[in-house]
Amino acid sequence: MHISKKIVVLGHFGVGKTSLIRRFVENSFSDNYKVSIGVHIVKKEVELSEEDTVSLILWDLEGTDDISRIRDSYLLGTHGLIYVFDVSRPSTFQTINDDLKKLEKRVKGVPVKVVGNKTDLILLDELKTVLDGKEISYDYLTSAKTGEKVNDLFEQLAKMLALDAEKI
Amino acid sequence: MTENDKIQILKDILFAEDSDYIEKIAHRLENLESTLNDRQKFSTKVDPIILHQLEEFKTSIPSTLGPTITAALKTEIKKNKDEVVEAMFPILGKMIKKYIAHEIKLLSEKINKQLSFKDRMKSWFGNSTKKQEIIDELAASHIEQVLLIEKDSGLLKASYSVTQTIDEEMISGMLTAIKSFVEDAFGQKNQNLELIDYELYHIHLQSFNRFYIAVILSGNYTTKAKDKLQDLIFDFFEKFTKKDDYHVLDSDSINKQLAQNFGHAHL
Ligand SMILES: Nc1nc2c(ncn2[C@@H]2O[C@H](COP(=O)(O)OP(=O)(O)O)[C@@H](O)[C@H]2O)c(=O)[nH]1
Ligand SMILES: [Mg+2]
Repeated sequence: MHISKKIVVLGHFGVGKTSLIRRFVENSFSDNYKVSIGVHIVKKEVELSEEDTVSLILWDLEGTDDISRIRDSYLLGTHGLIYVFDVSRPSTFQTINDDLKKLEKRVKGVPVKVVGNKTDLILLDELKTVLDGKEISYDYLTSAKTGEKVNDLFEQLAKMLALDAEKI
Repeated sequence: MTENDKIQILKDILFAEDSDYIEKIAHRLENLESTLNDRQKFSTKVDPIILHQLEEFKTSIPSTLGPTITAALKTEIKKNKDEVVEAMFPILGKMIKKYIAHEIKLLSEKINKQLSFKDRMKSWFGNSTKKQEIIDELAASHIEQVLLIEKDSGLLKASYSVTQTIDEEMISGMLTAIKSFVEDAFGQKNQNLELIDYELYHIHLQSFNRFYIAVILSGNYTTKAKDKLQDLIFDFFEKFTKKDDYHVLDSDSINKQLAQNFGHAHL
């Protein structure tokens, strides 16, 4: 069976959304800093088994520090959300719990994965203490630069969405 | 006679003529001063000289400074290839775009000429069908691709295409993003984006409730072609939605329907 799923990737400006997607889709990391415009759509097919594949249609949203400014229409019909923050810049996760609450209201029942990116820049133990202190929970800690946990993130999301699709 | 008197006499002898001369010089200096102070006067004197120098500079620079500049540029470009390419890209892009736009204009002018030519032919030769066919062919729009897309998610439901081009699932997403961006930007609800012109292609968008259909066309997209295309689209959609379970139909059977409906269509 082949299914396709829309995933919206969002988070503050410069946290590494585009880099994560690029790492997953092309398995390369570019240090070129290119500002992405509006929204960019990228597709990646994930093979779950010999006969089952999932096309992830990834909507890479332009970074905005204000979640409420994201267009409703970009969120419409999405099957999953990936919320990315930059572990080396607290300002990108300061308001995360509020943001997530607001987002969940706008896309009811859609699974959200919270991702702390750029783990190559800091010490993990220190980070975990900081996040615990702020009661921030996350699903993955990634580095688009080293590739750490990037495939896990997308592939496990694909698997989960495929399972959801089977239930229906 | 004192010593001083003697000197005076000596001076008079020596500088007799000079006193005239000094006066003349003073006068000239005065003139010069007024010329210098008067911009107008000054520039009539100096301009020809500057112009002459400039002219000389212009002709001599390629041979004197030219090689040095070129060499400097060359090493600079070699050292910073990426930066140069980066800088050139938008410029080249614009040039190419302009060129293409111009070519398209020429092409459509050509087509328009062919069209009036067609009318003339008709009256001269009666209905010479072969020629008629050729001319019709030239002016026609062709359906390249038909995409049935879920309105909200932008996911591709089914498609028909003459030639497989770029990834259809990605086009569907992009079209949906563009469509919602434009529709949001112009505010009014229930206003749908109908047509996107993209390079040599026209993309006709027809919105329904849960789906929309995007038809990618090449050629001259006329009002007449649009009428025919809309008939085709409505035809298809009626057939498609007749079945109660249409929204869970598998893509393969919808693909077939699309091919049947749009495959042999002439616009
Ligand atoms: N060190 C490091 N830098 C990263 C990582 N991910 C992204 N970057 C850099 O962070 C900057 C912003 O990345 P980008 O993907 O454009 O962020 P976006 O605005 O969220 O799409 C770029 O300079 C990237 O090279 C990472 O995992 N580690
Ligand atoms: Mg980006």
